[in-house]
Amino acid sequence: MRNNLSLATLTLAVLGAAFPARGQAPRPATLLNVSYDPTRELYQDVNKAFAAHWKQRTGQDVTINQSHGGSGKQARAVIDGLGADVVTLALAYDIDAIADKGGQLPRDWQRRFPDNSSPYTSTIVLLVRKGNPKQIEDWDDLVRPGVSVVSPNPKTSGGARWNYLAAWGYALKKSNGDEAKARAFVSALYKNVPVLDAGARGATTTFVERGIGDVLIAWENEALLAVRELGKGKFEIVVPSVSILAEPPVAVVDKVAAKHGTTAVAKAYLEFLYSDEGQEIAARDFYRPRSAAVAAKYAATFPKVNLFTIDQVFGGWAKAQPTHFNDGGVFDQIYQPGQ
Amino acid sequence: MKIRQRFAIALALGLFTVAQPQQSVAQQDTTLASQVQRLDQQLRVLQRLRELERDSIVAASKTKAGLTASKDGFTIKSADGDFQLKLRGYLQADGRFFLSDSVVQGTNTFFLRRARSILEATVFKYIDFRLMPDFGQGTTVLFDAYGDIRFRPAFVLRAGKAKPPVGFERLQSATDIRFNERGLPTNLVPNRDVGLQAYGDLGGGRVAYAAGVFNGVPDLGNGDGDVSDAKDFAARIFLQPFLKQTGSLLSGLGFGVSGSTGIERGSTTAQQLPGYRTPGQATFFKYSATAFANGHRRRVSPQLYFATGPLGLLGEYVISTQEVTKGATTANLKHRAWQAQGSFFLTGEKNSYKTVTPKKVFDPTKGAWGAIEIAARYGELKLDDATFPTYATATTAASKARAWGVGLNWYLAKYIKMAVDYELTKFTGGATTGDRETEQFVDTRFQFGL
Repeated sequence: MRNNLSLATLTLAVLGAAFPARGQAPRPATLLNVSYDPTRELYQDVNKAFAAHWKQRTGQDVTINQSHGGSGKQARAVIDGLGADVVTLALAYDIDAIADKGGQLPRDWQRRFPDNSSPYTSTIVLLVRKGNPKQIEDWDDLVRPGVSVVSPNPKTSGGARWNYLAAWGYALKKSNGDEAKARAFVSALYKNVPVLDAGARGATTTFVERGIGDVLIAWENEALLAVRELGKGKFEIVVPSVSILAEPPVAVVDKVAAKHGTTAVAKAYLEFLYSDEGQEIAARDFYRPRSAAVAAKYAATFPKVNLFTIDQVFGGWAKAQPTHFNDGGVFDQIYQPGQ
Repeated sequence: MKIRQRFAIALALGLFTVAQPQQSVAQQDTTLASQVQRLDQQLRVLQRLRELERDSIVAASKTKAGLTASKDGFTIKSADGDFQLKLRGYLQADGRFFLSDSVVQGTNTFFLRRARSILEATVFKYIDFRLMPDFGQGTTVLFDAYGDIRFRPAFVLRAGKAKPPVGFERLQSATDIRFNERGLPTNLVPNRDVGLQAYGDLGGGRVAYAAGVFNGVPDLGNGDGDVSDAKDFAARIFLQPFLKQTGSLLSGLGFGVSGSTGIERGSTTAQQLPGYRTPGQATFFKYSATAFANGHRRRVSPQLYFATGPLGLLGEYVISTQEVTKGATTANLKHRAWQAQGSFFLTGEKNSYKTVTPKKVFDPTKGAWGAIEIAARYGELKLDDATFPTYATATTAASKARAWGVGLNWYLAKYIKMAVDYELTKFTGGATTGDRETEQFVDTRFQFGL
């Protein structure tokens, strides 16, 4: 009996060592934000500001780790088990895929935050070399023979899918809704694309650092970054006559956050993006803020563009994705590497 | 007028003739520049494609399981390292030659002292298990079969068959010990036992601890089950307070204490009592056939280690106490043993509790011959005086052994060595004529392992 008591005491002692009692100070939290390619700078700034905000509000230290890559690839990684507490991807379809295939968050995730869970927007513009040597003024100039276009791979990159749809939407409008003409236009455009990077930042590297191509089809934020920081004085932005409204969405990955015990801080992190401070940071990093006040303040940064939405032209991501980007879709049919 | 016209035509023709080559050169320059630009772009595109291909290969390699072969064995590892399977093993081919065995016969023989395959696996990042059978000496014995759950470096939970945390040289791997056989104190501590223990490192390795509950085995015992309900509790703490003081003479100093307590109840048919062996593995002490363990068993073992540069010193002391019954009498018998040993690398390698990796791994084509180490030790084991004559017979069981040993180790690579030891052991009692014959032998070893 005495021996058994000792055995129980020892077992309790070792288990006690494994699970020490919690102190009064909240334990530091760690979040993983799995995001798309060009948001590195944005979330570096957001993370720093949010950590200070959260510490002041709750007394808890929070560290936010970032992971970046092509939006589609990132979604695949989360489905395959990458432990993202939050995802901030390039397009809603990629988060839908996590909900559908991974079951890690509910299908109505877009209703959880304002503006369809897109705290900032962007659009697609054209980045050309200083002096615009190929005289590129609009989408039509991208299909001219001898013009080399840089754009990433729509199969892996969310930004590339926005590029593709922007070009398609332009051709559709120009041809009064003639799908065949739009297809021929986009097909001709991709014949001028010599390299398909996996993500938007890779395409920027190809154009800016490797000196390839005459024009980069890019996120507006990425183009502004290239003009003002990455290659100051070497590039110009050409705003096309019409483009697409890109709405990069955000979501808490419920199952992962619950497992990590980070649901509250993850939710607060995404809410912070809608705050005045979060909107300011987005605008400073060249994302169009939702806040009218902040947008007015940064009006000079973001020119007025004739924008259409994916819902208006393509019937939403649920239709656009399988039609154009799934295996065997239009992109696979029109893009033949090496031809 | 005609003259004017003719003059104008002639002038125009002349100018055209002069201008033609200049215009042609300009056109050629433009064409060449355009071609160079086109080729430059093509070259850049090709370079970028290669770059992207390289990136995708690197990215793909991060998600694929890898197979590696190194001095630490063969490993299959998942891309994230959370799942691993490691195959290791070692073989010790010995030759033991007795130099004086006119009374106590020792057989000169070549034999496989140990032939062990080791399978180690990690699953789900924090869970390990290890399986190590031994096929040496013509038998198959399972030595290690346990699983670890690593909660944190300071707390690991181990279940299964393993070394209980008692003793010092016993806790060194058989591939790492400096002599071919462990010294006399190892007689007084358990070999392998089944149970549950917690262990870990604190303060960045300055404090190592282990504590657990086991079935309880006799000294030197290797058990797979229990014969009684009572269990043994074992614990060890080992301190290296100056471990992090790089450059300090004391950084290689460690000391600690281990011990166990429990109750062992045997019978005349299952004595649950040990026999003790000489370094030559001959039994020089055993209890009377009708004696048996019957009560508390306690062990305590203070221990010391010091290493600086090529020098390593090891000292341990063990007291093993067991209540023993024979007939109507019961006694609490307290046996003691200790040893001190030292070794020195002539080739300058840094000494440690673990095995060495030679500065120059054996490669005769490059004049690299490995590491050479010399070693010496002295140890004693003394039985409780009350053991005789009731619980053991003084004419067949010695009451004390004193052993001297010197050794030479040649490490060709990590875990691969050739060794030769000379051991001399003197006894008190253990023979009808007085003292048991002194044991002298030479032990050679070829150890192959990874």
